[in-house]
Amino acid sequence: MRRRAWFLAAVLLAASCGGDGGGGSGELDGLTVFAAASLTEVFEEIAPDATFNFAGSDELATQIREGAPADVYAAASPRYPNELAAEGFLLQPQVFATNRLVVVVPADNPAGIQSVDGLGREGVRLVIGAEGVPVGDYTRSVLETIGAEAVLDSVVSHEQDVKGVLGKVVSGDADAGFVYVTDAKAAGDEVESIELPPQPPVEYPIGIVTETESMEAAEAFVELVLSEDARQALEDAGFGLP
Amino acid sequence: MRRAFELGLAVATGLALAFLLLPMLALFLRITPAELADALTSEVALEALWVSVKTGLIAHFFVLLVGTPAAYFLATKRFRGRGVLVTLVELPLVLPPAVAGIALFALFGRLGLLGRTLDTFGIQIPLTQTAVVLAVIFVAAPFYIRQGIASFEAVDPLFTDASRTLGASPARTFRRIALPLASSGLGAGSALAWARGTGEFGATIMFAGSLQGVTQTMPLAIYAQLGLNQDIAIAIGALLVLVSLTVLLSVKLLPSWTRFTSPSFIRSAPSS
Repeated sequence: MRRRAWFLAAVLLAASCGGDGGGGSGELDGLTVFAAASLTEVFEEIAPDATFNFAGSDELATQIREGAPADVYAAASPRYPNELAAEGFLLQPQVFATNRLVVVVPADNPAGIQSVDGLGREGVRLVIGAEGVPVGDYTRSVLETIGAEAVLDSVVSHEQDVKGVLGKVVSGDADAGFVYVTDAKAAGDEVESIELPPQPPVEYPIGIVTETESMEAAEAFVELVLSEDARQALEDAGFGLP
Repeated sequence: MRRAFELGLAVATGLALAFLLLPMLALFLRITPAELADALTSEVALEALWVSVKTGLIAHFFVLLVGTPAAYFLATKRFRGRGVLVTLVELPLVLPPAVAGIALFALFGRLGLLGRTLDTFGIQIPLTQTAVVLAVIFVAAPFYIRQGIASFEAVDPLFTDASRTLGASPARTFRRIALPLASSGLGAGSALAWARGTGEFGATIMFAGSLQGVTQTMPLAIYAQLGLNQDIAIAIGALLVLVSLTVLLSVKLLPSWTRFTSPSFIRSAPSS
């Protein structure tokens, strides 16, 4: 009897691991959305029923190429959605939000940083996104635009997504980091933001994964993200709208 | 019935082996030898190798230096709470790496228990190469100490007692009797600790960050290169499989190399 119970438990466990679609009330139940780490708070607010995989957009793109069971992909850069669309993995990505970069420092600002120029000072511990990660590539292009590439000499760590950068600043172990304005806002008063000179905004595209098995739910999710309510939530979180 | 049982065992063994070995085989099939060589000589891979070897050697030096006497102490002394201490030493073995990372932050972080004091002296540990070394020591040392305790416990007290009776000091007895007799076990523990240290990822990426040539060890380079240049990620992965295989083989072969100093050999020696 007991043995049978164990067997049943194992079968149930195995079944629940494979669980895509079926059951549940909301139409987004069982939908798996791969989204950039910077979308964490706002997407969970817009669609609490969906299942999310938040990570660096580049990492998510790799996972989708390897056949991960994603239904929708929302990235923090047009680069990966465009690549995936060209390779046939993604259907017509469209821009739903924009973002821009700020410098964040810990609330007590241990290095006394007041502007971008202060980041280049000797002994400043700066954390940025890694190369190939949208926030990292964007940081490098913005620094180039504003002619402040010299601050890259202060970098002590390249993080794999924007939340990694934010975490090291919140804990106070980095003196400063480059994050999206929305992440700075989400961190509240744990960090202090320093504005950068005007910069071209970065675009966030969303698209349906070609191989999805829940096309209807995926379409509903994209529609939801483009809806008025979602636009309001995105704006409240600090995103720009296209 | 018996036939079916035997068949079941064979099938289960086949399944287990296939599941464990196929991923590693697939890794090697994903890349041609020429691409592998190319990727391994890339700057990222070479720097990651250098960071791994350097931090690994420094960490291992401290693991052996402190771990050996600690293991000897825990193996030979009998006192209240010894069992608790031995269990606590093993705790990092089963601790999730992310917990190790956040715990090291809690101690050494700028706002951490010890880090706060260090910070006033201008010393910062997180996000430096020192942090990599500390993370490696934290996860690898228990492997060595645990194996060390077992090895010293296996040394027959007959020999150490005889050494003491013949007038050798405790230190001399440790050096000339206990250490050689436990050497094969210590060697195996050392190899396992090295393997665990080389593979360390979770605590390192949290506590030390990732900067090429400074804190980016081989496992961190795999992660960083996944979306950038997958050949390099795969090549470093393949290299680490070979390193692991070497460590495993040396652990398996070590006892036979050193069997002349093993207690069982000596115990049977007097009869000849």
